[in-house]
Amino acid sequence: MILTEERLQDLLDKSLAELPLDTEWAVTLEGSIAEGFGNPSSDIDFLLVSRRDDDLPTMPSLLFVDGRRVEIRTRSVRQLADQFQEVERTAGRPARLSEDLLNRCQRVLHSHPLRGHALVEEVKALLPVERFRRITADWWAHRARQSLRHALALQCLGESDEAVDWTRAALVQSVKSWAAGLGETYLEPKWLSMQLDRAGRADVRDRYWALEEAVVPSGDAGAARAHLTACLDLAADLGLTGVPRKPERLTVERVARVTTWQTGERVHVVRGGRDVFALGADAGTVWRSLVLGRPLPRVLAESAATGVTDPGPLLAAFLRYGLVRLVWKGGGAVTPALPLAAPPGPVTPPPSTARPLLSVRGAAVTGARAVDLMPLPADRFAAAAMALVWSNVVVENAVEDLTGALRRGQRRVAELTARRAVHAALRGLFSAHGVNPLPADTDLVRRMDLLPAATGPIGVRAGELLGRGVDSAEDGDALRAELRRFIALVRGAMGADSFPLSFDSAHTWRATLQLGHDWLRMGAHLGAELPIEEARELLAGNGAQPHQAR
Amino acid sequence: MSDPTTPDPTTPDPAASHPMTVLVTGASGFVGAEVTARLTAAGHRVLAVVHHNADLVRNNGRKLTAGPGAVTRITGDVTRPGLGLSGADRRLAAGADRIVHCAAVTDFGLPPGRYERVNVEGTRHVLGLALGTRTPLVHVGTAYVCGERDGIAYEDELDLGQRPGNDYEKSKLAAETLVRKAAADGLPVTVVRPSIVTGATRTGRVRDHKTVYPVLRVLTRGLVRTVPGHHDAVLDLVPVDRVADLVTEAATRFRDAEGRTLHAVGHELTLRDMSDVLAEYPSLHVPRFVPPSAFSATALPGRERPYYDRVVSLYAPYFRRRVRFDATHAEAFGHRPPATGAHAYLRRLLDHCLATGYLGPPPPREPAARPDGSTHR
Repeated sequence: MILTEERLQDLLDKSLAELPLDTEWAVTLEGSIAEGFGNPSSDIDFLLVSRRDDDLPTMPSLLFVDGRRVEIRTRSVRQLADQFQEVERTAGRPARLSEDLLNRCQRVLHSHPLRGHALVEEVKALLPVERFRRITADWWAHRARQSLRHALALQCLGESDEAVDWTRAALVQSVKSWAAGLGETYLEPKWLSMQLDRAGRADVRDRYWALEEAVVPSGDAGAARAHLTACLDLAADLGLTGVPRKPERLTVERVARVTTWQTGERVHVVRGGRDVFALGADAGTVWRSLVLGRPLPRVLAESAATGVTDPGPLLAAFLRYGLVRLVWKGGGAVTPALPLAAPPGPVTPPPSTARPLLSVRGAAVTGARAVDLMPLPADRFAAAAMALVWSNVVVENAVEDLTGALRRGQRRVAELTARRAVHAALRGLFSAHGVNPLPADTDLVRRMDLLPAATGPIGVRAGELLGRGVDSAEDGDALRAELRRFIALVRGAMGADSFPLSFDSAHTWRATLQLGHDWLRMGAHLGAELPIEEARELLAGNGAQPHQAR
Repeated sequence: MSDPTTPDPTTPDPAASHPMTVLVTGASGFVGAEVTARLTAAGHRVLAVVHHNADLVRNNGRKLTAGPGAVTRITGDVTRPGLGLSGADRRLAAGADRIVHCAAVTDFGLPPGRYERVNVEGTRHVLGLALGTRTPLVHVGTAYVCGERDGIAYEDELDLGQRPGNDYEKSKLAAETLVRKAAADGLPVTVVRPSIVTGATRTGRVRDHKTVYPVLRVLTRGLVRTVPGHHDAVLDLVPVDRVADLVTEAATRFRDAEGRTLHAVGHELTLRDMSDVLAEYPSLHVPRFVPPSAFSATALPGRERPYYDRVVSLYAPYFRRRVRFDATHAEAFGHRPPATGAHAYLRRLLDHCLATGYLGPPPPREPAARPDGSTHR
């Protein structure tokens, strides 16, 4: 150890003097210094053990003694026994064995007693060291396998740089598994070099360092493959079983609660019933080619057969975002994880900043290969889309009503229907920007501040139109003309695809209703709010309104 | 509705424990082969009436192996009086303890005369055979004799003046009416009415891609994207093993089943359920169901129209019918609880079809070249 017994006892005395301890404690030194590693800046970690029955706090006390950081933890014998039992209980399922728990147990078992030696030894005897070596070796082996399988998958998908990083992770995990079997169970990889030096196998050590330091040029798939093969060879030589060689054993599988909804040509994928991903044309084509349950190389070949260039990175993105998962035949789901890192699982990308966010034909995307996350939850997304479709219908209806009212000289009716058209157009504009639920109609003009500044002139124009009266036939005609210009202005801000759809023909009207049904289907699945019940009725029955298109 | 009396399992039908001879029509069919397999496995002798002298193949695709009961194949044709049996076979048939009538055409879209010949006249000929020797008959009908209606269809209802959904249903209603008449004339009968017979409970495996399968293929390939239907219309999918179990039991425990009509039904799936489960499969298209009142076949895109006319339109009644089948008698007779896990069952059916390639994207064609000669984007 880098500190003498005397020095440790002195540090302990000074530390305990700062704590109001009310009971008899056994004390043991844990961590890197107890392991025989460490340096002058390493923490001093004291564990205080008591026979008390009450639960002792998990958070350590932090002290600074003689310029060194000292951490003091307290645990009862019962708490430690529970930890060891939990490790034993989950040992057969390494994926479920928490890294923190394993680490806590390792530190106790490899600690150096300073006070109350008998109690410390009694605690250590609760989990025989040989058994703990096996558990730790299996735990690392499981992680190594996952990383190697993931690396193999990434390589298959043409993501060679990412594959190299996971290969390196697997290299560390394989060697840690081997070393743990020899008693080097200290969990953090920080002191791996010293662990390998102590393990007494210079051949393994040298082979490890040669692979660890190997330069694999970025984008060089051949070099990445060779590096993976060499790491697989070392892992196998070190006794790791289930080492992946054939990507055919990787199958692409369904993830629960991931669903696909297409409106028009746009493919939307909903994850966990909550997150909506909008896929660009190429990404959508590759997604649509996926037949789950098939081997990864076959899935890749089938996606390549769609004509989309280089589909591998798109499949890798689907995996990364948890839209599909990989399973190793006979070995369960592939869940790569790095030690001391974020928990394994799907990545959530930053939300799309596309504006406006959606049209009646589907969400906006940033490119053909985009897998864009929508910035609002799935039910609100579907509700906004349905509100957008509905606003199209209402605008068109209101303009028709206005024309009829003017023809019959119904001035008051004309004023109201004109306002109705303006409000509906604004509701469409808000919905296209993902605002849902919508502000009240009376607030729409004021709430234009929710939308991008470029839409400001629309708000001004809307305000003017809402204040307009109809005192004569000329007023009415002028109002109708201005309303048409206003709608054109909104169309300019939202894109011609968005609003309003042309209702010039039976065909376009029918197309609008069909898009409405597409959104209803998704909305119903997600339990989204309908704009109003009338919308469902229109989509459900009155297919002929307002143009008798059927 | 009369209350069903639960058969007492402590007083077994003597015939159930003694080997019988059972004549099965349509023994090579989807349900018939499974019934035959169960009867022979239980030690009964089966006179398997088949139209063509081919192997009997089980739902799992394997050749049916007889035993311990013998299986004797008899060439016959239900469209002919006396099933067209030879003299020797007629004598064999006369010795049967039970007749199980599975033979029927179940495909949709055939000329009306074909349903009349096979399903109606075929049943008439089977009844003629049974009446001659007063041999107890198990008639396999369909739950969809209920016709185009909403609500609950009960087992003891038959002709309520309903409108059949298609010629198939019409023929099965006529056939079952003949069976009822024969029963009134003293023939001991039991009617088992399956709903839409689909793949095996546990594996989803299916030998014949009939019933709902062709329409599922057309819709999930996106060949027809707009379908007239209600989101709350119900399709009842029953696993073939569940049907075969009930038919077999009706034959072997005939004393308990006599005079009853038993709904062999399975998993109720609304179109909304179908839509939700199909959405879990990236490669499968989910059709949009529009209200029948708002649907116009003439407005379909030209490429969709032939698929609609030839396949989807045949199933149109099934997409608008909000009917559920009461199975009180069947459950009491078979001591089997209603099927559960409709979504999981549908997934098994889809998974099986994807694994065999029946569903999923069609085989890739050579990408069309672009004006610049490139084929990739």
